[in-house]
Amino acid sequence: MNIMLKKYIIYPFVVIALLVASSCDEEFLELQPSGASDLNSAIQNIDGYRSAMNGVYSGLQSSNYYGRYFILVPDVMADDVKQNAQANRAREYSDYVGFSEHFIASGIFNTLYNVINRANTVINAETEVPAAVQGQKDQFRGEALAVRGLAHFDLVRIYGQHYGFTNDNSHLGVPIVTEFDQDAKPARSTVAQVYAQVISDLEQGVSLMNEVQSSAGRMSKEAAQALLARVHLYMGDWAKAEQLASSVINSGKYSLVATDQYVSGWSSQSTSESILSVFFRNDDDNGSDALGRMYIVEGYGDYLPSQDVIGLIPEGDVRLGVFKEDENLSGALGSVRMDKFPDPATQNSTPIVRLSEMYLIRAEARAMQNNDTGAQEDVTLIRQRGLPTADAVTATGEALLDEIATERRIELMFEGHRLWDLMRKKQGVSRTDCTNLICEIPYPNDRFILPIPQREIDANENMVQNSSY
Amino acid sequence: MKQIFSKLFVIVMFLLGVQAAHAQFTATGTITDEAGEALIGATVQVKGTVIGTTTDIDGSFSIQVSSNQATLVISYTGFTDQEVEVSAANPTANVTLASSVEQLSEVVVVGYGETRREAITGSVTSLKSEQIEQVPLASVEQALQGNIAGLQSVAGSGQPGANVQIRIRGIGSISASSEPLYVIDGIPVTAGDISRINTTANTMASLNPNDIAQVTVLKDAAATSIYGARGANGVILITTKSGRSGKPKIDLRTQIGFNDWAVSENRRLKTLTSEQYTEMYLEGWMNRGETVERAMERFENHYPGAVNFGPNGEIQQINVESNWIDAVTRTGINQSYDLSVSGGNDAVTYYGSAAYFSQESPIIYSGLDRYSSRLNLRVKANERLTISNNITISKLDQFGASGGSFWANPIYNGYFLAPVIPIYDDQGRAYGDHKNFFMGGNNPVGSLSGDDDRNLEQIRIMDNLTGEYEIAKGLKFKTAWAFDLINLQEEYYRNPRYGDGRNVNGINRESTINELNWIGTQTLNYTTSFNESHNLTALVGYEAQKNRRKRVLAQGEQFPNGELRTLENAATPTNATSDITQYSFESVFSRLDYNYNYKYYLTASIRRDGSSRFGVNNRYGTFWSVGASWRIDQEPFIENATFINDLKLRTSYGTNGNAGIGNFRHLPLFGFGADYDGSPGGFPDEIGNVNLTWETSTNFNIGVDFGLFNFLSGTVEYFNRESDNLLLDRPISSTTGFTVLTQNFGAMRNSGLEVTLDATLISGQDFQWSFGGNLTFLKNEVTRLDEEIVTGTKIRREGLDFQSYYLYEWAGVDPATGTPLWYTDETESTTTGSINDATRFVSGRSATPDFFGGFNTNLSFKGLTLDAQFSLSFGNYLYDATARFVQGDGGLTPRSQTNLNLKRWRNPGDITDVPFFRWGGNNNSNVANMTRWLHDGSFIRLRNLTLAYTLPQNLISKAGIRSARVYMRGVNLLTWTRDENLYLDPEAQISGIVSSPIPNLKTISFGIDLGF
Repeated sequence: MNIMLKKYIIYPFVVIALLVASSCDEEFLELQPSGASDLNSAIQNIDGYRSAMNGVYSGLQSSNYYGRYFILVPDVMADDVKQNAQANRAREYSDYVGFSEHFIASGIFNTLYNVINRANTVINAETEVPAAVQGQKDQFRGEALAVRGLAHFDLVRIYGQHYGFTNDNSHLGVPIVTEFDQDAKPARSTVAQVYAQVISDLEQGVSLMNEVQSSAGRMSKEAAQALLARVHLYMGDWAKAEQLASSVINSGKYSLVATDQYVSGWSSQSTSESILSVFFRNDDDNGSDALGRMYIVEGYGDYLPSQDVIGLIPEGDVRLGVFKEDENLSGALGSVRMDKFPDPATQNSTPIVRLSEMYLIRAEARAMQNNDTGAQEDVTLIRQRGLPTADAVTATGEALLDEIATERRIELMFEGHRLWDLMRKKQGVSRTDCTNLICEIPYPNDRFILPIPQREIDANENMVQNSSY
Repeated sequence: MKQIFSKLFVIVMFLLGVQAAHAQFTATGTITDEAGEALIGATVQVKGTVIGTTTDIDGSFSIQVSSNQATLVISYTGFTDQEVEVSAANPTANVTLASSVEQLSEVVVVGYGETRREAITGSVTSLKSEQIEQVPLASVEQALQGNIAGLQSVAGSGQPGANVQIRIRGIGSISASSEPLYVIDGIPVTAGDISRINTTANTMASLNPNDIAQVTVLKDAAATSIYGARGANGVILITTKSGRSGKPKIDLRTQIGFNDWAVSENRRLKTLTSEQYTEMYLEGWMNRGETVERAMERFENHYPGAVNFGPNGEIQQINVESNWIDAVTRTGINQSYDLSVSGGNDAVTYYGSAAYFSQESPIIYSGLDRYSSRLNLRVKANERLTISNNITISKLDQFGASGGSFWANPIYNGYFLAPVIPIYDDQGRAYGDHKNFFMGGNNPVGSLSGDDDRNLEQIRIMDNLTGEYEIAKGLKFKTAWAFDLINLQEEYYRNPRYGDGRNVNGINRESTINELNWIGTQTLNYTTSFNESHNLTALVGYEAQKNRRKRVLAQGEQFPNGELRTLENAATPTNATSDITQYSFESVFSRLDYNYNYKYYLTASIRRDGSSRFGVNNRYGTFWSVGASWRIDQEPFIENATFINDLKLRTSYGTNGNAGIGNFRHLPLFGFGADYDGSPGGFPDEIGNVNLTWETSTNFNIGVDFGLFNFLSGTVEYFNRESDNLLLDRPISSTTGFTVLTQNFGAMRNSGLEVTLDATLISGQDFQWSFGGNLTFLKNEVTRLDEEIVTGTKIRREGLDFQSYYLYEWAGVDPATGTPLWYTDETESTTTGSINDATRFVSGRSATPDFFGGFNTNLSFKGLTLDAQFSLSFGNYLYDATARFVQGDGGLTPRSQTNLNLKRWRNPGDITDVPFFRWGGNNNSNVANMTRWLHDGSFIRLRNLTLAYTLPQNLISKAGIRSARVYMRGVNLLTWTRDENLYLDPEAQISGIVSSPIPNLKTISFGIDLGF
């Protein structure tokens, strides 16, 4: 029996055991995916910085951000845009019936914080690089800081009431996130705190960025300064706004597009006046989700330009060229389409800052500082670029400010500015050419800002919802 | 790996060296049943040895006996074993076997082996080939519906070759897979949908159901724990046919049939007529405050010349009348041709088949073709060594329609397209001029009939080489090496003229997926008996498996014309990407089966699994089970109770795991592909969790199997399945940049009762009638969850059923204004016209049925048989996810609606549940997540009805035919639903979410089976 046992049972079992032991190498169970590397060692060298920074820009392309909704939503809430009958996307905001579970409210929120996390990956990577590329590393960190500043600025604009809503700006802003912590449940900072962070990030970016940026598709020292100019404009810090706008204008890197090229300029990726844009290529454009497709007849065509803004543009002004007749439209909807973003296949960028805005910021800042002459020069420049035969602006005081506001509305129409400009001036939205369910939205209004997404309220007990949602 | 091979080689060579014993004489004979009919394939074994053979087509056998005299044991399923003495002097044994009333003595395939039904301590149900053969369904899983207690099987889409969802004893996971493990001839294989472009596909559809000898479903721990980290959702074992020694048997099976929608015509949603649409169109604008003139002007702009109006919008003449649903539907043809041959001699047995199966959907130009062949070969090299190889090759072509809420779905789009849009233009082409205002001008008729292409081609090769060596009496070594190769090619082309390709001059997307799955299994099995009454079987094994899947995707736009469609013709490539994903498992396992006198049974199993899918901190897990059974009917004290034919009590307890958690979920990843301006970009993609590991499941099972009064048999069992460490995407603050963190956290319980009954009501010589049925009462409860999770229509909350709906409660239409109303909260005491004032709440309705199952009856008279099989489900609710568009009250301008809209509110005082119609929507009357779209899904369906006639032997034998059977079969012929207004097919996805699927099929077919 013993021999039997040995021969027939123990031996074979030993053989099997050996077999098992011999193949049990850890490697067999250590598999890595083909499209990713270890998160904790993502940035090993300057190439790591570069690809991580590309990832940040890629985040800006999202259709929840500069790819579509971040521009579209504030515009459909204001008075330059009216709703087409078949409007389906963002209709809840156009009609002021948004709710906290709505996917756009969460889409924008999640995407912007995702971009902030991508930027933080670059900013907080403590990777030593050779001295020869230290400058490049500083540049990438500077770009990331500036994007982080931009993203916080955008968040506080769309989820918080404007700067100046309360005297000390102690009203609710958004959480400030400067490092990754998977357990974080941050509370909302005040608008004052968020603006301070935005300025700090942008200024730090300005000081770190040292390389000449060849493309408007990436953040540069001047782009960060231009954004700072806008931030200070919103804050009513006129001196700083003027000074920053001037340094961008005087940098010599940008020039206004000639009048006769203005319309065709919208069909190219960037022009001489592009300071910062988000670029798209065929392989990463948003397809039918592109911003332009919300307007153009070949796309969803959900939204149309309002006569409220078209009527402000003088006859012969080149900027009327961005509108296109559409014979299918008639009655209240008729009869033109907005083609500032004509076709994603040829026009493949979303402008974030253009040089003309710098002139208009400076004009407003100068007027507010009683430098009417300087202001008149700046606003005339923009007006005559549109219509060279137009008279120079001679108004002063309130009338001058009105002319600047009108010029700003025309020049920057459909680029996502109008709602914020109304709010910071404490004005309501008044739609005359109106196809919406609601045409008068008085200031102040809880509904000028989006709800904090319900899923965030549920996941973060420190989060507070905006009133009225 | 090399090491393993070389070692194996040595072992095999060593084992081969063992001498075989010499035979002394040859015993021969014939085995018949009580009626004198030859029993083909009866087992004849020399008692006390492993020497054995099977009878051939004449019932005769021939066996070598190694001593002067011996005892032969004759056995055959359904008959009582018999022993007979033979000797060199008297070598002939003609034996008549007596049929046994015991139902339990069949051989059942279990994990890493097979056993007799009565020895099973776990919960195991099997389906024999007769229940699978020639069922006109594309994949075998579909045949399980209603046939197995505790198992839910639904396709959720009638697209031929659609993925089939299987849940065994409920849903055991929140976010990981709930699909069972599929094992074909011992090899865990890839199952489910791995396609990338098509909306649904099923890798299992490559298997020809006619090649299957048995499907065994393992349900409790005693049965599944041997599969360790992959056993938690149950295991489906598929065994393919093998040959028996004897004359070649040739079987030719042919079938042809017709496919239609399973939902009968009077229940389906109808499209609007041109008149109905036009009226609604004008009304929709006038309800926005426009004049009738303006509304007519709009109409003329959209649909030039389609309708002539009078001055006040009266319809004078209709010039276009399209019924888009009719235009995309047809009667499909179902065809199946299957030729198999099996046979063999003492040394070699074989089963080979070649088959063609074709299923046309009721949607035009949509369907599936399958070409398959198989060769299962078994060679008995000598008395100890057996080598077998099973290989199957198949090609599956799936083409045409896609489901879901996509324009490409003809059933979804068909309701939207206005009847006043012509189907063809004046050049005879598919009309596409509505592209500027009507969903890109999609035209499903043109798209399906060749303007677009959507197809999938799957080639699959499975090979399984097994060597078995009997080292000594009762001790067997088995080595099995298998590979499973899947090649999946998909294409999705859209034409330049209308639809998705219109802005880019045509677009094509092509994908290739290549998967290699290999596995090596080594087992030792030892069977012995001692002291007369103690019987023991021990199994140990080692298994290693690796799976690698590579995918390539390319897309291009700008095609020169509509004919040249391959990507070489695309002027602008817009996407090119590839990726590789893999997983590996390494496992050791063991099982012990013991019984005392074939009366008291005890089993125990243990398995240790390691997998690449688990985080480094939790890479290996151990799973175990114990089971016991007691055959009460074998006890002397019950001998007098003659009405008891069988009585067995069994119970089991144990653990297993669910490794269906994704391949790399545990890794913190920095992903790439976030490119910008032509340069590669990366981003933090996954937070990762080094502790992440399998989900655990602890199972308790107790059941009784019985046979009573010689006509009734059945099983009643109770199960409790506690799933823990469930993978949960726990919502985290999205200020982190992520929205979820995956953790092993949640817990859930599925408990229930399964009842299976079979009764032979009449068993006369000429007339037989039997009835069978099974019911499963299932209760699911989420038992641990830190935060509620609202996902779509459902809420996951502690104490609630996993599939509980969480919706706004629809309160109908305000008769005064025609606007929608909701209840403000769960008290349902106040209504509101503003969705912002309503809250979602749990009303107790769930997608989980209270009970489900099926029943069948079989009548046979002489050669004529009538089989009917019903499946049923009660207490579950369905949510129509696309109703908010298709019945959107004008929410989407200017899409058409269904006939349900004809009930819309028009005048104050109208009592209806359809609000007034207004382009642009009516006060959020079509929001998602409200009970307006929820329906009672309870149903009973006549799943299968077969009338067959087997021609008498004396008639056909002259023609050289062994057997001949003609039949007529109907699938899904009748459906009864508790909600008499239900327009959906109640056989919906497990989740209860119905998103405009391709309709399920009703098939009527005619078949002839011939045996030679």
